[in-house]
Amino acid sequence: MSDYQTFLQERDQIDYFTQKGYRIKNITENLSGAFVEFERESKESKEFNKETLHILTADGRKYFSVVLINQQKEGA
Amino acid sequence: MADLRINLAGIESPNPFWLASAPPTNSGYQVQRAFEAGWGGAVWKTLGDPILNVSSRFAAVSFNGQKVAGFNNIELITDRPLEVNLKEIYETKKKFPNHAIIASLMVEPKQEKWHEIVKKVEAIGVDGLELNFGCPHGMAERGMGAASGQVPELVEKQTYWVKEVAKTPVIVKLTPNITDITVTAEAAVNGGADAISMINTINSLAGVDIHSWDTIPHVGGKGAHGGYCGPAVKPIALHMVGDCARNPRINIPISGIGGISNWQNAVEYMLMGATGVQVCTAAMHHGFRIVEDMIDGLNNYLDEKGIASAMDIVGKSVRKYSDWGDLDLNYKIVAQINNDVCINCNKCHIACEDTSHQCIDMLMDEHGNNILRVREEDCVGCNLCSIVCPVDGAIDMVEMPSGLPVMTWNERQAALGAVSCSVDPISK
Ligand SMILES: Cc1cc2nc3c(=O)[nH]c(=O)nc-3n(C[C@H](O)[C@H](O)[C@H](O)COP(=O)(O)O)c2cc1C
Ligand code: SF4
Ligand code: SF4
Repeated sequence: MSDYQTFLQERDQIDYFTQKGYRIKNITENLSGAFVEFERESKESKEFNKETLHILTADGRKYFSVVLINQQKEGA
Repeated sequence: MADLRINLAGIESPNPFWLASAPPTNSGYQVQRAFEAGWGGAVWKTLGDPILNVSSRFAAVSFNGQKVAGFNNIELITDRPLEVNLKEIYETKKKFPNHAIIASLMVEPKQEKWHEIVKKVEAIGVDGLELNFGCPHGMAERGMGAASGQVPELVEKQTYWVKEVAKTPVIVKLTPNITDITVTAEAAVNGGADAISMINTINSLAGVDIHSWDTIPHVGGKGAHGGYCGPAVKPIALHMVGDCARNPRINIPISGIGGISNWQNAVEYMLMGATGVQVCTAAMHHGFRIVEDMIDGLNNYLDEKGIASAMDIVGKSVRKYSDWGDLDLNYKIVAQINNDVCINCNKCHIACEDTSHQCIDMLMDEHGNNILRVREEDCVGCNLCSIVCPVDGAIDMVEMPSGLPVMTWNERQAALGAVSCSVDPISK
């Protein structure tokens, strides 16, 4: 799969989580790329749902950064 | 007709084109001919204790048939007594009172030596002084030139000594043979310099003769490192000028030197913060008369842009010269190939396929003609294909809106830093 196709998948996954009400809680960047932890408080159980995405592409790393900056602006 | 006059730290000249301190400014005969040809100023060949030169002094690097892409020399400062040079400076200044004559000076790093030469030179009437802290060979072995120009404390101290007695503006000429030129530039500012000039030549060995195994040039079978200049060094010098121009602690004028061959090069330097330029190699390659085109070209450029004075363009690009961390990561350009202009040499395809991102496809159009097409989604906008393409207009690099807001590396890292701080509330 081309880098671009991988990026489109990553973007879709990031969009999916944000649309579902998840927020980025933590990001770990290392030699393997970036691990983006999403979190959402469940309305019913008051528990936190967590999801982690392993982002491989450079465009994907730019994309979640934009999402994060927007999230911080909204939160501000 | 635009006003081409410049004023660099109080030194006025009819245009921004000066000859750099080097063989073209060795004597009164030469400088007077240069002024007649149109040069606005001349920095006299460096004065100091007369030296001894070797024979076989220059070498040039040709690249693919282009002669003098780079130029290398192992020549030292003037080999003529001070009085001879001063007499000729006096005569030249008398004949050309409106042209700038700057005396380049180099002596041992001792206060009394600097005082002595400054007083003698200013007594005959020069428009300014340039302290040569840059020559990388020969003089450096004697503790002068680059040897003193690489030590910020020595730059500051020597500038200070000169300023103690100088009545005319003092330009400090910096060596590029240092990791960060702003450090020595700041030292010059702290010493009281009125301006800085850069660059002197870059340490170099022009080549090795693969048959005789001698260095190029060699002096009876032996070589020594020289100083490199000419078109090849222009990007290095331009960066150094830009780095000094955008540094708020270096708030004195800059005289730009290094590979300037035409008016366009001069405009680039001025946009990047140089108040004027100095030229050596291009004059040595083509003679004094190249200045005619430089003057015409600059004048037409300013007229076409409706700019009244050459001084008005100084520094106009400085604020655009930034740090990598402040560039927009979401700015995107892609290559587009114009197949009606393309001659199908396939150089772009090979370049992208072998050494970039494998996104130029070789296809066939509906008439069976070979065409090339860029898969824009995979193109990273590296420019390589357009750089190697031999046909003007065959490849355009076009902006492709990414749909994402401006985001610099610094902004991104700040955002990431903030999120890692706000650690998971549950795990606490
Ligand atoms: C043969 C030769 C001799 C030079 N001698 C001097 C000198 O005596 N003093 C000095 O400050 N710079 C000297 N330079 C350096 C030039 O003034 C100038 O800084 C350098 O050549 C870069 O400009 P260019 O690329 O236009 O040649 C010399 C350069 C050459 C090629
Ligand atoms: S700009 Fe770079 S990545 Fe894009 S097509 Fe040209 S060589 Fe390939
Ligand atoms: S390098 Fe230029 S001329 Fe050659 S194939 Fe590519 S676009 Fe065409």
